[in-house]
Amino acid sequence: MSTRREEAPPGSRAAQSWAGLTTLTRIRIGGVRLTRVRKSRIFLVLAIAGPGVVAANAGNDAAGIATYASAGSQFVYRTLFFMVLVTVALVLVQEMAVRLGTYTGKGLAALIREQFSLRFTALAIGCVLLANTGLVVSEFAGLGAAFELLGVSRYLITPIAAVAIWALVVFGSYRYAERIFLVMSLAFLAYPIAAVLGHPDWKAVGLNLAIPHFEFTKAYLLLGVALIGTTVSPYMQLYAAAGVVDKGADPADYPRARIDAISGAIFACVVSVTIIIATAAAIGGTGPLTSASEAAQALRPVAGQAAEGLFALGLIGASALAGAVVPLSSAYAISEAVGVERSVSRRFTEARLFLGLFTVQVIIGAALALTRINLITLLIGTQVLQGIVTPVILVYILILTSRRSVLGKAANGPVFRLVTGVCVAGVSAMSLLLLGSTVLGFFGLG
Amino acid sequence: MPDRRFPPHPRPTTNGDHAATSRFLSGYTQRLTTSRQVRQGIISLVGLDGCPVLNQSGEEVGRLVDVVARVGGTDDYPAVTGIVVRVGRRRAFLDASAIDHADRRSVTLRTARLDLREFHRRPGEVLLAKDILDHQLVDTDQVQVIRAADLYLAQVGDQVRLVGVDVSLQTLLRRLGPKRYRWHPTPDRVIDWAAIESFGEDSPEDPAAVKLRTPSSALRRLRPAELADVLEGLGRPGRKELLASLDHDLAADALEEMEPDELTALLREVEPAQAADLIARMEPDEAAEALREMPADEQTQLLARMPQATQRELARLLGYPADEAGGVMTTVIACASPEETVEEVRKRLVKLAKHQTEIDSVAVLDSEGRVIGDVSAFDLLVNKAGRPLADLIDPDNPPVTLQPDADLDAIATTMVESRRSSLLVVDEDGKPLGRILSDDILDALVPGHGRLHFPRLLQ
Repeated sequence: MSTRREEAPPGSRAAQSWAGLTTLTRIRIGGVRLTRVRKSRIFLVLAIAGPGVVAANAGNDAAGIATYASAGSQFVYRTLFFMVLVTVALVLVQEMAVRLGTYTGKGLAALIREQFSLRFTALAIGCVLLANTGLVVSEFAGLGAAFELLGVSRYLITPIAAVAIWALVVFGSYRYAERIFLVMSLAFLAYPIAAVLGHPDWKAVGLNLAIPHFEFTKAYLLLGVALIGTTVSPYMQLYAAAGVVDKGADPADYPRARIDAISGAIFACVVSVTIIIATAAAIGGTGPLTSASEAAQALRPVAGQAAEGLFALGLIGASALAGAVVPLSSAYAISEAVGVERSVSRRFTEARLFLGLFTVQVIIGAALALTRINLITLLIGTQVLQGIVTPVILVYILILTSRRSVLGKAANGPVFRLVTGVCVAGVSAMSLLLLGSTVLGFFGLG
Repeated sequence: MPDRRFPPHPRPTTNGDHAATSRFLSGYTQRLTTSRQVRQGIISLVGLDGCPVLNQSGEEVGRLVDVVARVGGTDDYPAVTGIVVRVGRRRAFLDASAIDHADRRSVTLRTARLDLREFHRRPGEVLLAKDILDHQLVDTDQVQVIRAADLYLAQVGDQVRLVGVDVSLQTLLRRLGPKRYRWHPTPDRVIDWAAIESFGEDSPEDPAAVKLRTPSSALRRLRPAELADVLEGLGRPGRKELLASLDHDLAADALEEMEPDELTALLREVEPAQAADLIARMEPDEAAEALREMPADEQTQLLARMPQATQRELARLLGYPADEAGGVMTTVIACASPEETVEEVRKRLVKLAKHQTEIDSVAVLDSEGRVIGDVSAFDLLVNKAGRPLADLIDPDNPPVTLQPDADLDAIATTMVESRRSSLLVVDEDGKPLGRILSDDILDALVPGHGRLHFPRLLQ
């Protein structure tokens, strides 16, 4: 007789019950196997589609859809080559973020605090906060635009949505709501189908994807910066690094994490490109996008008359999803840099800094979405802001991944440094050009 | 977090008589004076950073870059062993003996000679500004993970020592402000260094920075749940170092208290051999839960590294779905026959002391190995040593047991109705398989209040 059955001498009572147990296990085997098989199949599907879908959805929020749709409407296929460059940039940057996460096991904000002086940390955090607040504004603008498609005034729905999202997060039932929003946002997966059914000029698409071309106009520059901002946003980099850290991925897991990150980035960009193509085929050449119902026309080949409804559904889902996650993530990043993320864990509502940052962002987001600016203009404007701020965060990531004291042997090699350096310099040059021409415009010189 | 003054104000004792009160009062004024003196005597590390290093005649010879201290020795307050000075383009190390005195805005040297050797870290030494400031530390007093906003040094006897860590937001703002205000200490929320556990960053470039040392006694006094809290809060390097310095059984106890997803992440990042060892030391139900969350290939890899018996037991527990009795139960059960006396059973329980959290009663089995009674530890305590267990069980009231496929609701209902703190799980012949304790059910029913992570979709 013993506490642990395995230690029991043969022939004892315990050994008999061990025999009894094996029969029980044998009876159960069928059931056990069944549950196991079922589970693993779901995981397999999720493992293939999951990260990509989630990443694509995280990127293709309200502002993303508006920006890509505007690109298709204003420049038809002429931004496609630029999107190829942006995809390369996203792949490079996401790979670096994931490498930092797997090799150091720390979030990006914590890493910046440890590696840079406090003033530079404050600069980085300020940029993240600025970019994310812009994103929050765009999410509420997206919600407003979606409800206006359904015939509800945005002045009515935005305050309600702000209070609802705030309450869902603070009182803790957000996790359930999130799944509903995610399913709703899957409506945007209709875009690839619409891109095919919409009979775009495939020859023009192919040529524009393969042959380098740019337009040296202010409108193209503006949209280019917005495309960068919405695709390579600071938020996405924090997200990518935090993702691997939370899973406990270490250097041994890095090859897998890298494949995940790269395939996720490419998948997200492919979806973005199909949005441009679908919109270009539907309303290409009609000038800048001015309303959500114009953007919804792109889904007509799939949904016919219901296109606006489908578009609104997707927009509500994507905006509500990001409307909570984005302000939470900037509040978390700041708490992490200050070093109080631990105190947030148990008493979420008692962590004043965290809750305050979250609340302020939701209020600013909703308030700016209530101004009388055209919603599409507001949506694209926030992405231009992101595009201007993004290079700052990219410089931090580039410096961190080039430091041998941080990554050891996994630090960037000279060739990689050159490629990413050129990439970051290009992105910076574009946002500086835009900033410069805007400032000149203020003085009537532009 | 409540504000703590530095140094801590004395608290009145609760059971003091008059004499003690007056003694306390005189001690109090004395300590207040000391407190004021200490406040004036402390030097902010942030203020020292970049301050001029002067020779005896007050001429600047260089700028201070960092302060070197020996952290992790037996001292509660690590002594400063030297400073790193930038002279021209070189960084030179100056031993503490070369320093005449340090005040808040400058360091004055004793010697005119300056040995311009490059700085090399000696074992056990850390650079306070580079390695400790802005890095994670564990406050063992309040059991929390913090990030140092400033470090305070003070002249103690003839040595300068590291005495406290500032963690206030106000100090961060002071550091962002103009340089000329930075030296002024703002000791509002300061933690006594004696309560602090720091970690050597394992810099991939500088292996000398990795310290091998025993954890402080304060850390060893923490309860497993508190250690679990700290482990969850630390970044990977700190977590690994802390885990490596803990006694394996204590580490396993702490792991049992961690949130399942945190635990899985932690087990995935340590070496497989260490992970297997830790899991094997955990209570079987918690170990099975940890393994359940892992990818199948890593699960088999870890199981293969464990002793045969543990391997079999865990594999069996993993066969049950997580939300049924079989998946929640622990297989640590104490059994006895009805003929055994209370005395004999008590003696056997002594040997099972390390499973104390898992055993709250003893299953009484008949000659066929079927459960005929469940005698609580309380009954064993209050009954006479010589009585056989058969006397303690009520033949008319068969023990309340569960089948392994009972779901969580059924378990909770049965537990509430039977008013017991644990229930036996039996197979269809009535032979015991394991035990479900009320805390297992609480764990399973209460939604996890895990650490907040960077918010992501579908975590």
